[in-house]
Amino acid sequence: MANAIVLKNLTKTFGETVAVRDIALAVPDGALYGLIGPNGAGKTTMVRMILSILFPDHGELTVLGRPSAMEAKDRIGYLPEERGLYKKMRVGEFLVYMARLKGLDGQGVHRQVREWLQRVELGDTERKRCEELSKGMQQKVQFVAAVIHRPDLLILDEPFSGLDPVNQRLMRDLVLDEHRRGATILFSTHIMTHAEQLCDHVVMIHRGEKVLDRTMAGIRETFDPHRILFEPLDPDSDITKLRALPGVRSVTPDGPVWDVALDGLANPASVIPLLVTAVTPSRVEIRRPTLEDVFVSIVTGDASTALDDDARLRAALRDGGQEVRR
Amino acid sequence: MKRTLYVAQREFAATVTTKGFVFGILVTPMLIGLLMLLMPRYLTKAPPKIEGQVVIIDPTGAVAGGLSAYLTPERFAERREKTKRDIEDATPDLLRRQAAASPGGEAAIKQSIDTALGDVPRLHLLPLPGTANVETEKAPLKVPVPKQGSGPVPRLAVIVVEPDAVRPAEGSQKFGSYALFVRGKLDDRLVDDLHAGMRDAIVAARLQESGLDPARIRNLTSVPRPGSLTVTAEGERTTNRELNMLLPAAFMILLLMSVLTSGQYLLTTTVEEKSSRVVEVLLSAVSSRELMTGKILGQMAVGLLVLALYAGLGLVALVSFATLGLLDPVLIVFLLIFYVLAFFTFASLTAAVGAAVNEMREAQSLQMPIMLVLMIPWILWLPLSREPNSMLAIVLSFVPPLGNFVMLLRMASQSPPPMWQVWLSIAVGAGGAYAALWFAAKVFRVGLLMYGKPPTFGTLVRWARMS
Repeated sequence: MANAIVLKNLTKTFGETVAVRDIALAVPDGALYGLIGPNGAGKTTMVRMILSILFPDHGELTVLGRPSAMEAKDRIGYLPEERGLYKKMRVGEFLVYMARLKGLDGQGVHRQVREWLQRVELGDTERKRCEELSKGMQQKVQFVAAVIHRPDLLILDEPFSGLDPVNQRLMRDLVLDEHRRGATILFSTHIMTHAEQLCDHVVMIHRGEKVLDRTMAGIRETFDPHRILFEPLDPDSDITKLRALPGVRSVTPDGPVWDVALDGLANPASVIPLLVTAVTPSRVEIRRPTLEDVFVSIVTGDASTALDDDARLRAALRDGGQEVRR
Repeated sequence: MKRTLYVAQREFAATVTTKGFVFGILVTPMLIGLLMLLMPRYLTKAPPKIEGQVVIIDPTGAVAGGLSAYLTPERFAERREKTKRDIEDATPDLLRRQAAASPGGEAAIKQSIDTALGDVPRLHLLPLPGTANVETEKAPLKVPVPKQGSGPVPRLAVIVVEPDAVRPAEGSQKFGSYALFVRGKLDDRLVDDLHAGMRDAIVAARLQESGLDPARIRNLTSVPRPGSLTVTAEGERTTNRELNMLLPAAFMILLLMSVLTSGQYLLTTTVEEKSSRVVEVLLSAVSSRELMTGKILGQMAVGLLVLALYAGLGLVALVSFATLGLLDPVLIVFLLIFYVLAFFTFASLTAAVGAAVNEMREAQSLQMPIMLVLMIPWILWLPLSREPNSMLAIVLSFVPPLGNFVMLLRMASQSPPPMWQVWLSIAVGAGGAYAALWFAAKVFRVGLLMYGKPPTFGTLVRWARMS
């Protein structure tokens, strides 16, 4: 299968800072790739290079089979992280303008704009000025501007930031619709759960370098934590009963839930029946690796990191609050 | 190209539909229109008829007669007729022919001249001997003029001729003169007429006294002044070089105005695009050069609209002057060429400044150098128009963006430069405009995505090298 994006040894520096170092990447046609990493990791710089808004110092890239995105601009949709609208322009006019810049022409443009506005539940805003919209509404208008010309490649930089849960879900459905239509999608985020919910493949960037490039299934397999979440029906149950079982390395209570760590070779399928016989559970669940876990384990190594550092990193990845500095 | 035009179209629409623009643009032409409406009414109003008494105290006894003859209604009419003929003679042929061709045109011109000249004044001259008391005679000047048609004729002026006005006093070579006392609010033209009449009468009296013939003297001393004809390879024409020299001035004003207005809009919209973060969305659809070129074209259209409304009147005037043969039409074509080149150069740099800063007030320090360059033509105008082919002028013709202006100035001068220099200057100017566009596009691309502390000019150059 052909690749929508191919990067080879891409490097970009700003003065002293190396924003992107020697990155190689291939995104196949029709894939849904997540580009993840904390703030300042180099995601936006990478995306801007893919779009020929910035140019790399070294390395080569191919976008939709062309050596530069300039030559395929009409087939690419882009929702930048730093996004805005012309405040005084009317929503409908803005979308028509963007569609025309993207090579959409003729009578159909206005109709398409109206259809899209209906789809993102903004049907009544066509005549409104952009500044009259709420931030979330503006973001939906920007998304429409990125996809109105039915691009083959859709690049979304932090598409969910600033949206309430309802609109996050709407946005996710729209992205999946585009994916089903056949568009290749690369979306960057620093919030790992978004990537987990959406992507089938994840690329992780940390301090300008690629630290992971795997399918979600592969990640789950490799980074299986060998843990079982066990919630006893009676909160006062004896925890030592579980600790004594074969294949169990340790059991740590975490509120009402006990975190059961298994021995390296133990098979959850054979341990779970033993657990439920020993203590009656209200819930038993194999713990899935989260991208957050994966990321932390990759960047921190194992024992070398102090615990509070680890916690800080996790916090940063969960809510994107602060930049990660270690 | 299509994208560039879309950008230009949006830029144009976004600028001209703002309230500030509409208001600012409409108010001034409306004021001008109002003036135009009122002025003719005021001008065609006939001046009030003048009737009154002029006293002349003439101890020589030789002047009053001459003045009396000068001030008769017939002589007034004769003189005004002559002025009319002079005005008509000065009117360019083409204008006269056009006026004649339009229905009632000739009559209209005649009538407007008649109206401007007004009714002939009716003056009653009262000669008094030298023994008359000046103060007593001056007193009626202070009495207010009675309403028309009632009471006695008002006294308008008192002229006191000095005793030695016609014949110098014993043992002296110097002639005396006269004193003129007039009432307040007297028509200036009447005062002029009185002076002219006195001069005429005194000179005639002196000539008579010396035994010379006034008519013969007049004949001997008058030489009619012809208009000069410019001889060129194409033939002779009455092109007016003074008017041609107005073209560089028109150019500078045109450029200054459009850089100040359109440049300001360009700066504002660029800063707005940057601060509202809409720019990265745009850059995913168009290249930075397309975006910038589109914006400049859009603002040039705005500039042309402004010019069409304001100086457009002036431009129409220029063109009509050309059709009247007063200006060289070829020069106007070159003016437009040089204007577009200069505008592109300055607009590019302005756009670069807009892309580099985060807010309008940061732009001011970066704009300073651009403004200074824009001012140089004003300083150079005089020295260069005096010596249009000096070494300085020739060298400056090939320094963009000044060359655009300098070359036009030289072309409008008495000794135009050879055509190869003109074309070379245009080529260099176009190169300069392209270089400015190139530099600006680089700064534009880097600057648009840079936020933070305002850059210096040195930073801009580094950005251009960087990208």
